[in-house]
Amino acid sequence: MQILTIVLLWLVPASILHAAPWQFEHAVNVAGVESSTTHKIFHHLDSSGRRNIAASTLGVAVAWEDDRDVTPRIYLAFKPNTEDSFKYAVQISGEGEAYEPSLVALANNRFVVAWEENSQIFSRMVEFKGELRLGPTSQLNKGTAAHVSLVQHMGHLFALWSERTGRYGQIRSQRLSVNTNGTLEPGINCPIDKVPPTDEQLYPTGVITDNRLVVAWEDRRPKHTIIMAATELQGGHCRYSEPIRISEKPESRNLPYGTGHGVSRVALGRFGSDGVFAAWADKRDFRDGYDIWGANFSLSQGGFGTNEKVQDDFGGLSKQRHATVGGHAKGMLVVAWDDEREGNADIMLSWRENGEWSEDWPLPVASDAGQQSNPSIALDSEGNLHIAWVERNAIGATTRLKYAFGKLHTDPGL
Amino acid sequence: MLQRLFSLLLIVLLIQPIHALADAPEGYPFVSFDQAMAKSQRESKLLFVYFGRYGCGYCEKTNREAFIDAAVRQRYSKNYALAYVDAESGRRLRLPSGERIAERDLGTRYNALVTPVFTFLNTDGELIHRMVGVQRIEDLIDADNKIQAALSKAKQQ
Repeated sequence: MQILTIVLLWLVPASILHAAPWQFEHAVNVAGVESSTTHKIFHHLDSSGRRNIAASTLGVAVAWEDDRDVTPRIYLAFKPNTEDSFKYAVQISGEGEAYEPSLVALANNRFVVAWEENSQIFSRMVEFKGELRLGPTSQLNKGTAAHVSLVQHMGHLFALWSERTGRYGQIRSQRLSVNTNGTLEPGINCPIDKVPPTDEQLYPTGVITDNRLVVAWEDRRPKHTIIMAATELQGGHCRYSEPIRISEKPESRNLPYGTGHGVSRVALGRFGSDGVFAAWADKRDFRDGYDIWGANFSLSQGGFGTNEKVQDDFGGLSKQRHATVGGHAKGMLVVAWDDEREGNADIMLSWRENGEWSEDWPLPVASDAGQQSNPSIALDSEGNLHIAWVERNAIGATTRLKYAFGKLHTDPGL
Repeated sequence: MLQRLFSLLLIVLLIQPIHALADAPEGYPFVSFDQAMAKSQRESKLLFVYFGRYGCGYCEKTNREAFIDAAVRQRYSKNYALAYVDAESGRRLRLPSGERIAERDLGTRYNALVTPVFTFLNTDGELIHRMVGVQRIEDLIDADNKIQAALSKAKQQ
């Protein structure tokens, strides 16, 4: 009997044994346009900070880039909560080559998208009133820039990006306000670190906590990539604290060559009343490739705390990347990424459970055959999990853009 | 004045590839993956792809102790279309299939889990041979000998 139990446990997928707080039923297509035999289409969900999905009270929107008409352009699709499909879709960008859209939701079923087009940063508002209505496009900068990420909380709206300053990228922030006619009005624009860059500052993202903007980014000034952060000083007006390093240097690593280990792409999420969590891909266990690591932020303690490994050890020898963070005011915190521990790329989740990271959980609707990657997640006001990702049958094949809704059914045990 | 402008332009052109290529060894015609693939198809040469990372210690060791060798430089510059991929970079590449891919995702696709990884690819981007970690002069010479011998044999058949 004991042997039979062991065999049955071995046969039952781990995803069934491990109860997740969300129940997912099925995945749906986001983009109506797909590849044909004559024209291949590749979708990208790759915004800085991985903010490609946002939930409003009445529905969910996804923003992405694809090359359906050869030139890469930005699109947005919307699904009202009352409907099963993304039948409302609109082109966001103009005639130029456009990349890496970032998306946030505002009140009253409005969304803001920012993107890079011809190496400059643009944004516009989209409103759903029975149909998608586009606001005018606002150009946010004049220089050469990329990697825009939007930040929104309680009516405060910021755009962050990396702009060429001399030879290198420098992270800049800009406050945005929304006019009654739907125009986004750019406010003060300044560098986060006023010291002229001596190497690249890339891929910023941010959150607002206690009415202050917290910004994190990739920084190559130590001649390898680290994650750094700065906090807006009290009173705002584009003044920030001295940048601090978030990604820790591993102990007992003092090699005669090289400058340090690698990290990649930070994502930030708010949770609870004032919690902030940063997650990124980290190569400190350098023989294993990148793993998903993170750190908590505390304003009262002046920064980010000790680094913690988000993923479990079963994925140690496989590839993990594209970490995305979702949080909720009630305290829920979840991280998703793509993970090749089962051979193909699958979407994996881990959430805070009684103060610990849960076992890694392959998302049932995004962990089958084929490749599922580049997730972006958002928790709505009810704590339901919305997730979008890129799917393809095989490496190098054309792509589909997928979405799934996870209904919150149990308290994750905060 | 014109001479000054020309000198300035020359300096900018000389600096730019070094900055863009991060940790590629000096003195080699390493270019981006998509440019190298185009060259590979145009000149019917195999690709030699160096997957490195900014600040990578074992890349620096291989650069200083193996790629510094004149015979290695001569062989690899002559025999292959050379590509350097920074496995953490978001630099955009366009593959022959039409797919746009970032360098870091290309590294994942070719299993550059650790760096450096050196791969020999055919003109379609298919893997022929792969070397992981620090390489010595004799490793690179030996790999080139084997690849060239296999190519000669294939041509004779």
